[in-house]
Amino acid sequence: MAVITNDIIKEVKEVICDFFAEECEVDRSTITDNTRIIKDLGGDSLMFLELIEIFKKKYNLDVELKTIGKYTVKHPVETIGQLIETQMKIIEFENKLIDLEK
Amino acid sequence: MTRKVVVTGMNIISSLGLDLQTNWEHLVQGKSGVGYIRGFDASNLQTKIAAEVPDSFEEYAKSFIRKRQAGQMTRVTRMCVVCAMEAVKAAHIDFGQLDRSRCAVIIGVVNTGNSSVEKGTKPQNTIFKSMTNSMPAWIALEYGLTGPSFAVNTACASSAYSLGLGFDLIRSGQADLVITGGADSIINPEEMAGFNALYALSVRNDPPEKASCPFSKNRDGFVVGEGAGIVILESEDSARARGAEILAEVAGYALTGEAYNIMAPMTDGAGMAITMEKALKNAGLTTDDIDYINAHGTSTELNDRFETMAIKTVFGPRAHHIPVSSTKSMTGHTIGAAGAIESAITVMSIRESIVPPTVNYDDPDPELDLDYVPNQARKHTIRAAMSNSFGFGGHNASLVFRKFQP
Repeated sequence: MAVITNDIIKEVKEVICDFFAEECEVDRSTITDNTRIIKDLGGDSLMFLELIEIFKKKYNLDVELKTIGKYTVKHPVETIGQLIETQMKIIEFENKLIDLEK
Repeated sequence: MTRKVVVTGMNIISSLGLDLQTNWEHLVQGKSGVGYIRGFDASNLQTKIAAEVPDSFEEYAKSFIRKRQAGQMTRVTRMCVVCAMEAVKAAHIDFGQLDRSRCAVIIGVVNTGNSSVEKGTKPQNTIFKSMTNSMPAWIALEYGLTGPSFAVNTACASSAYSLGLGFDLIRSGQADLVITGGADSIINPEEMAGFNALYALSVRNDPPEKASCPFSKNRDGFVVGEGAGIVILESEDSARARGAEILAEVAGYALTGEAYNIMAPMTDGAGMAITMEKALKNAGLTTDDIDYINAHGTSTELNDRFETMAIKTVFGPRAHHIPVSSTKSMTGHTIGAAGAIESAITVMSIRESIVPPTVNYDDPDPELDLDYVPNQARKHTIRAAMSNSFGFGGHNASLVFRKFQP
């Protein structure tokens, strides 16, 4: 369980936007919270997994993929904003993410 | 009435160039694509030469494939996809106007090239890069094609098989259009060392461009090439309905297995002869109808001897009057891509009435006495032509193309 600070929020946003700008070859400034990952950026679901790995290393997270899977089934991620929100939850709750559903 | 199967698009990426026209011009000029290996340090290998695709390919590919997808493909897979995209463009196909569920993709491939020469692979991409079926999958994804999509592996005959299978999908009414072809590269230290251990490769490294010399007395093994070839097959009805230019007709083909030896062809080319005979029969043609044979012609002792014998068995006295050339003398042996590359070359020969030469034919083997079109291209009217592919494991294919007559 991590305490989410403004610095962490800023950092997560930056990592996610930089990642999509680089991988999808789009101008970083065009990515907003409402940008749709697949329809607007031509992204794919594997990118979500790659980002999880990046954040697991960065914040030394103890979280299993199946926990995230169960969470995202109920909270689908379509836009960059939703992705940032989900990543913040993962960082905040790690494996206890599952408890949010109880 | 049998549905006619026609060719409406083609492309080649090889050591001779990144598009069909450049390849054709170099083939007619008798230019060799063989050189010292640039892709890795080959100093410890017996064979230090290969026919590598020009280094400019990667920059060229960027205008076709997005960075994200490019990272999920090997260099060879990118060659396949780029080659297909250019062939589709050349054929002026608008898939929005076709029934995509009746459009198929069949790609012949043995190796995706996911070897030690492939650098910087993310763990998430390892499997995509290794899957041979990724090549047809990427092409189907590009155009949203939902007909059959699969890879076929029959070693050096792989992409010839893809054309044969595509032909049948159309003739049997299961598809209207099939993107066929192949892509391959074994230009990496592991596989070249393996082929060296089998004494299959030429070790005459100097000068590189002289090493591939099919049918010559001094031939000492094949020279490895790499690349991609795509041939778009379509029913005559589909081609006509969209006003496509018909480049040639696929008259027929044959596939056979020798069940003889994992490496060597059947003695005296018996299996090769059976394949050619069956292909002629399937095409409804006789030996008199064939005006050119694009030979498998690998520059190995056994293939060239046995293929010559097989041609004589099938064509009798006429064998000496049919130009037989091996374009592997220039492209090297592109393994899984060879059948498709050589099919495209054969169709170009029919259209242009030009037979590309067998280069490096400087030291004739007295026992091999056909007209191998030595060293210089030749003007020659071709009504119908045959392209042969014979693979390790005894996988044989002969394809017959003819000038399209409405």
